[in-house]
Order: sequence, then structure tokens, then C-alpha cells
Amino acid sequence: MSDRLSISVRDLFIDYEIFEDRRAAIRKRLVQHEGTGRRLVRALKGVSFDVFEGEAVGIIGSNGSGKSTLMAAIAGLLPLTSGDVLVSDEPKLLGVGATLMPAANGYTNIRIGLLALGVSSNEVDMMMPQIAEFTGLGEALDRPFKTYSSGMRARLHFAIATSVHPKILLIDEALAVGDQAFKKQSRGRIDSLLGEAGTLLFVSHSLEQVSSMCSRVLWVEQGRLRADGPSDRVIAKYEAFVG
Amino acid sequence: MVTSPEPSSGLTSVSEALSTREYLTAMWKRREFTIEVPLEQLRSTHQTTLLGNVWHLGNPLLFVAVYYLIFGVIFEVNRGVDHFLLWLTMGIFAFQLTSKTVMGGANSITSNTGMIRAIKFPRALLPISVVISQLLSFGIEMGVLGAMAILAGVGVSRRWLLLPFVLIVHTALNLGGAFIAARLNDTFKDVQQIIPFIFRLLMYLSGVMFPLERLLSSLGEKSWLVPLAELNPLARIIDLYRWVFLGASLTGGHIAVTTAIPFLVLWFGFRFFKAAEWRYGRA
Repeated sequence: MSDRLSISVRDLFIDYEIFEDRRAAIRKRLVQHEGTGRRLVRALKGVSFDVFEGEAVGIIGSNGSGKSTLMAAIAGLLPLTSGDVLVSDEPKLLGVGATLMPAANGYTNIRIGLLALGVSSNEVDMMMPQIAEFTGLGEALDRPFKTYSSGMRARLHFAIATSVHPKILLIDEALAVGDQAFKKQSRGRIDSLLGEAGTLLFVSHSLEQVSSMCSRVLWVEQGRLRADGPSDRVIAKYEAFVG
Repeated sequence: MVTSPEPSSGLTSVSEALSTREYLTAMWKRREFTIEVPLEQLRSTHQTTLLGNVWHLGNPLLFVAVYYLIFGVIFEVNRGVDHFLLWLTMGIFAFQLTSKTVMGGANSITSNTGMIRAIKFPRALLPISVVISQLLSFGIEMGVLGAMAILAGVGVSRRWLLLPFVLIVHTALNLGGAFIAARLNDTFKDVQQIIPFIFRLLMYLSGVMFPLERLLSSLGEKSWLVPLAELNPLARIIDLYRWVFLGASLTGGHIAVTTAIPFLVLWFGFRFFKAAEWRYGRA
């Protein structure tokens, strides 16, 4: 760990606007003239923390506490309501359930994913054999992506996101669905990323995995940061809270 | 644990909106995406059908057959129109390029939310991919049309050299339309239900199946539809195609104005689309 900042989240608020019933919303607005019919969901309510290069930080908390919102916000995929997120390099997000082209095969998905990340077609050709091997999917790479299990999808996405040597990697539950072999393999790659002054934010419900990978843990609850500190201490607090 | 270094410590905000120039640079860097995605879609669109890729051409040709039966054989529109079959085919192909592109543009964001939620890239690449995808199909259709023209004895003409110019104007219109439809449909999913009807109406006002001047003369000079039809850039573009391939006469109109409109639509469409860049794939 160095003293150079890689992520700085400053008093971050994220609101979602949801229309539960569009027609009711329009009626409220135009006929009854009361309110807009929109409901505001405050997903994050003033979160602040700094992460330094070479750090692996775990993020834990109950379902719906705002962990995934925080990750998407850091990845630059969400409008920030207020506050700011500063980064030293473009973060790469690895989430579950992400699909690129469901009808296309694994190779095409790797290709399209890398092109969207800004890799040139020639570079993709050069990287492909290595990436394909790293996924460990073998002949399954010829099959349509939509036929993949969640573990196979995680393997593919992990291979895509880490092949561009991101300096900041955000993993949102994406390793939980992998098998033992994949967990070991991904661990190796994450360690080498951290060795190169990379940064990892790791969301997981597996506290074991979090404590083995991360020296520091953030506990997010109801959109607020409840604790930030050494893994064992924060995890102990969280376990006491959950009961 | 929050330290507060100066913002100048080599960090950049993730929420900083890209300037138009930076946005275009980011798009250019990913230009291969806009070719490879359409190629993949072309391969997979008709994968589950028995005839497969034949449908890329089969679908528009069936439209031609149906409209020829109705307007050529039953309503006898073909009287007074030279090479009616070619004339009709040209109109249908050109019109469908626009309608399919705008419809595809409308779905380009909503059908790619998986990609949008996973990767940060300029979202404009998605409508552009649709435009390129449709242009690839159109290229094949143009090939067939050229062959039909030669077989029908219309022959090759020097006017064919102007085809790229017509295509550029046409593409500007389609791209602008795709941008606008993409944003509207992302906000209001109802839009994709309405678009087919707008295009059905537009088809009659663009002179696809019968000459526009016949429609205008039956409306009478005072109808409010007349200036609308005269400024309709799509009608003028179809005219231009027919002029290129058949040497058909150009229906007066205001060529300068109607070729400027597509570029205005593109300019407005791009800005309109980019302004909501953050919101795509969220609702």
C-alpha cells in the first residue's frame, strides 16, 4: 500500500427516482395537481472514504444496503446526486448478471466487450488465445452466451475485465458464483493486480472470502457507512449486528 | 479515514461530462465496435429461421411483391410511371432503410441495458451500430436493384456516381432520427409502439407507392399537407434515388432545403441524445 490515493469518495449521495405507476403519476400531476407521482429512493446518504493504491477493500452489508449502487457510482455508470467520486484511473466493474450479447458465443462476447472498453481489433486478436484459456471454458466458448451458467458468465466477465490490466477493479459479488478452481485462479490475478499498485473494491456476502482477500473492510448499511477499518474488527461488528 | 488532498493530485471526477470533442474521440477509439456489433447482428438475426440469411433480402422483396400487386396490378398506379417495378422497389428500399434504422435506434438502448450497466462507453455507439447494420443490408439491396436496372434495360448511367452523395444525406437523416428515437424510447417505452404508425403515415407522404404529385394534386393547392410534403426530406431523398437509377424527373421542391434538413436533424439528434447520456439503461 502506498500513500497515493486511487479512489476518493466524498460525501456521496445517490437518489433514484422511480415511477411506481406511470399513469397514476400523470393523473396526480395533471389532474389532481398534487406532487409528481415520483418516488425518491435514497440509495446512498453521504458516504465518504479514501482508498490508496495497492489496497484491497472489502464492502459488506445487508441486501439493499447500497453496496451495488456504490460500485456502479464509482464505475461512473450512475449520475451522482451530490458529492463526488474521484479516481486515479478508469475503474472496471465486474458485476453479476451483466450480459453483452446474449445470442452471440463466448468469443464474440469477449471481442465486443474489449472493443467497448476501447481495445483495438488487432489487440483483441492478439489477446484472445490467452483470454480464452484463462476463462477455462474450452469448447463452451463456441456456444451462445445465454446458455451459460452464472459461474461460466462470471469466468468470462472476469477474464474480460482483468485482461486490460485495470488499475482499479470493482468486483460486485461476481466471484461468489464461481467454483473452487476459478476462485483460486482469480485470486492469483487479483494478487498480481495489487502487486502492480492496483486497487480492489470487493463486494461479497462471503465474510470468509472478504477477510482472506482484504485487509480493510467498509460496512454499508441503509445507504450509510457504518464502519471502516481493519477486516477482523469490522466483520466482528457486522456479525454482532446481524446476530 | 478521509484525508482531503487537493483535487489536483492526479484524480479525476467520474461524473465529469465529456465535452463533445472528448466524446467524439472516445467514439473514434471504439469505432471497430460499430462495425463488429452489426456484423454479429446480421449473422444472428435470422439464425433461428429455416432460410437464415436469405431473409435479409427476402423480407424487402416480399414487400415489393405485395405493394406491386396492390398498387401496380389492382390500383394501376403504374400508368404514367416508367419502369414502375424498379421505381416502386427503389422507393420501398429507401423508405425501409429509414424506418428500420429509426425503429432499431429506438430499441438500441433498451435492448442493450446489460452492456450499458457493465461497461462505460459512449452510448452513441449503439444507435450508430444500428445505422451501420441497416446500411450493410441496404448495400445488398442496392446491388440487387442495380442488377434489376441493367436487366430491365435501364442501363448504367453516369448519375450512379452521385449515389454516395444521396447516401450521405440519407444516412444523416437516419442517424439523427435514430438518436432522437433512442432517447425518447429510453424515457417513454411507449414510443416504440407509436413509431410504426408515424412511418405508415409518412410512407404515403413520401411517394413510396404512388407519385407524390398525384397525391398533392388530389389534395388541392390549399391543403396544409402540401408544404409538409414538399419539405419532407425523405420524399426528396427517394426522388433522388429514382433520379439516379431511372433518370426519373425530380419533383421540383426545394432540394437545397430538403438536403439541409437531414443535417439539422443529425445535429439536433446528436445533442439531444448526448444530453441524456447518464440516464441510459437506468429507468
